Amino acid sequence: MNENVKVGGILDQLANVALVLGLLLTTASFILTFTIVPVPQSNLNVVPADQPPAEIGGLYVTNALMFSQKIFYFHMPVAVISLGILFFTALFGIMFLIKRDHRWDLNAKVATEVSLVFILMTMATGEFWTAYEWNAWWVWEPRLTTYLILTLLVIGYFILRNAVDDPERRAVFASVFGILAFIDAVVSLLITRIIPSSRHPVITREGGLEPLMVMALVVCIFGMIFLAYGIYRTRIREQRLRIRLDTIKERLED
Amino acid sequence: MESKSGANEQVVEQANIAHSILKTPSTFSQYKALLAKDIRQEFRTREMLTSMGIYALLVLIIFGVAFSQMPSSYEIMPISGGLIWALIVFTSLLGLNRSFSHEKEEGSLQGILLVPLDRAVIFLSKATSNLLFLAIVELITIPLFYFFFLSSEIVADTLWLAVIPIIVGTVGIAGIGTLLATITMSTRGKDVLLAVLFIPLSYPLLFACVSATSAAIVGDSMMMSNYISSVALAAGYDVVMILVSWLLYDYVVSA
Amino acid sequence: MKKNNQNTIKTDTLAIEAKGLSKLFGVRRALDGLDLKLPQGAFLSIFGPNGAGKTTLLSILSTLARPTKGKAKVLGFDLNENSDDIRGQIGLISHRSMLYPDLTAEENLLFIARLYGLKDPKGRVDELLDAVELTLRRHDTVRTFSRGMTQRLSIARSLICDPKLIFLDEPYSGLDPHAVDILDGLIAQIRDGRSFVMVSHDLQKGFDLSTHVLMLAKGKEVLFSEKENLDFEAFAQQYRATVGMGVV
Repeated sequence: MNENVKVGGILDQLANVALVLGLLLTTASFILTFTIVPVPQSNLNVVPADQPPAEIGGLYVTNALMFSQKIFYFHMPVAVISLGILFFTALFGIMFLIKRDHRWDLNAKVATEVSLVFILMTMATGEFWTAYEWNAWWVWEPRLTTYLILTLLVIGYFILRNAVDDPERRAVFASVFGILAFIDAVVSLLITRIIPSSRHPVITREGGLEPLMVMALVVCIFGMIFLAYGIYRTRIREQRLRIRLDTIKERLED
Repeated sequence: MESKSGANEQVVEQANIAHSILKTPSTFSQYKALLAKDIRQEFRTREMLTSMGIYALLVLIIFGVAFSQMPSSYEIMPISGGLIWALIVFTSLLGLNRSFSHEKEEGSLQGILLVPLDRAVIFLSKATSNLLFLAIVELITIPLFYFFFLSSEIVADTLWLAVIPIIVGTVGIAGIGTLLATITMSTRGKDVLLAVLFIPLSYPLLFACVSATSAAIVGDSMMMSNYISSVALAAGYDVVMILVSWLLYDYVVSA
Repeated sequence: MKKNNQNTIKTDTLAIEAKGLSKLFGVRRALDGLDLKLPQGAFLSIFGPNGAGKTTLLSILSTLARPTKGKAKVLGFDLNENSDDIRGQIGLISHRSMLYPDLTAEENLLFIARLYGLKDPKGRVDELLDAVELTLRRHDTVRTFSRGMTQRLSIARSLICDPKLIFLDEPYSGLDPHAVDILDGLIAQIRDGRSFVMVSHDLQKGFDLSTHVLMLAKGKEVLFSEKENLDFEAFAQQYRATVGMGVV
């Protein structure tokens, strides 16, 4: 057990660097987004700039609302990263099932925690956008629904962990569910895009991102990745210290 | 201590013969034994079948109440696909929750795990018996749904096509549901937990099956254009999820 | 009993050979580096306070749980690599019956016989029903059985594959005197040529049946010895001291 709860070392030092770097880059992209990045003139292909508002899902969308699109620079990175982290949950789950080393279970648990943070941020930013652009706080739009399902999967993961007392069994169940949840998330994304829901069409954005927009987006994505890693590593360190403390307590009792 | 020996000398003799009474059992014969045990048990107690059947009937009654204030000319056909799947999901959750109760009651599952056998066989046999019981309940409740809600409507000629997504969906529910029921049977608050894990995991399957079932009932040409892709995606989900469940089952059941 | 012991310890192979067996539950050590060597034909009784790791040891040796660390061979097969070879030759009699209450006695035994792939399931089931004196009740469902009858059937179920090594997990708990007699009788009859590992709280009974004694506390060995080297009174004394120590 002791070799698994090593604290300190190069990775833990890097975690602090990553956190600072992540904060700096995210702030930079935030400033970029609201200063030099232009407001798109026709980012919704269904509403060309020179035409009257179009009806989407029973709601009118106009170009006057295009400024709300700024949130996209924040929304898209967190959405991509939350799914990306979920991939690590599945990967660490597989590693645990092969190696039977609880270090992997801890990694998977912490990765899922970080993923939950990012999924909640995705939901929140998505909600703002929906509320502003469609004038409704909730619509059963496929993307939104998929993210709701993702939120439920991740919350389910933690409810499952809490419902099992035996650590060995908890780790196995969580690993298996983590693998299934990731596959399910990917399948959900695919299915909701291939089968159109008859009530709410998927709104597709056309290309034409200007270089400045791309730059703001890339800076934000990197910032988020650093942030995610920083949070992940710091949490791992905290959890390992806790395990160390419990081990010492257990020893003292003997 | 030796008083009972009279009747049991054979057993003693058996011990001295080296291991001769075991042959290598075929996986298929083990599958048959497990499945036959589940079926025999269910048809003796009818626990899953009656509880699922009654529950399904109650859900239908609630649907009826929900529609009681609708104007007489309301259109039920476009939502009937969704209603059928709500019925199937709630009913199967109830059945899946019970599917391992006999294995837990006296620790029988431990007894099965002590036998040298491929754990995937346990998964396949349990998924098959769950599928069978779900299918029996659906055979009664879905015609009942038609009788209650659709008999006065002019349904499309393509109605029979609804059978395919219902079969594909039920297979998927039985597969993923068996794995999840194995997980939740040894947890606290297992009834709620199964629903919490099962509904998000089966979401893509439900989405595809509702799309295909509704298309078949309405028969609208625009909706029918999605029918094939919906059924194909549901089948794809089945293949992927059942394969993964089958691979992971050993870990889950041995934990 | 004595005579049996001399007859049965004839092979060189060991029934159980464990090295550094450990099982962690989080930070708690249920089993902590246990070494164990048990010759074939021996009857090992395991004693210890609650939480000493007795049941954990039993589940690891019967392939139901895997050790966190350490290696073990059961009947000459490696626990991690050849678990299926072990499974075909062991039986577990526990205080839980592992039977299906809604199936008849015969159906229960036939089911498990088919699962093991016996050559002659029906013959073997008849034989065992006879041995546990349940032939007359073979077509009744287990739910209608008394505790003692259920336990007898459960014993028959555990012996169906003709195991060489039998694990007993507190087999006497909750038995009526008649069922205790039958269990004693059955153990005596199948004693020859087989090895036993028993977990029991019944000090006298466990001591009487055993050829070897293992006492555990906090996952560690406190005492392991052949019974011949032990005096019951001194042993009981040490047991009480251990239980006192083990109180958490």
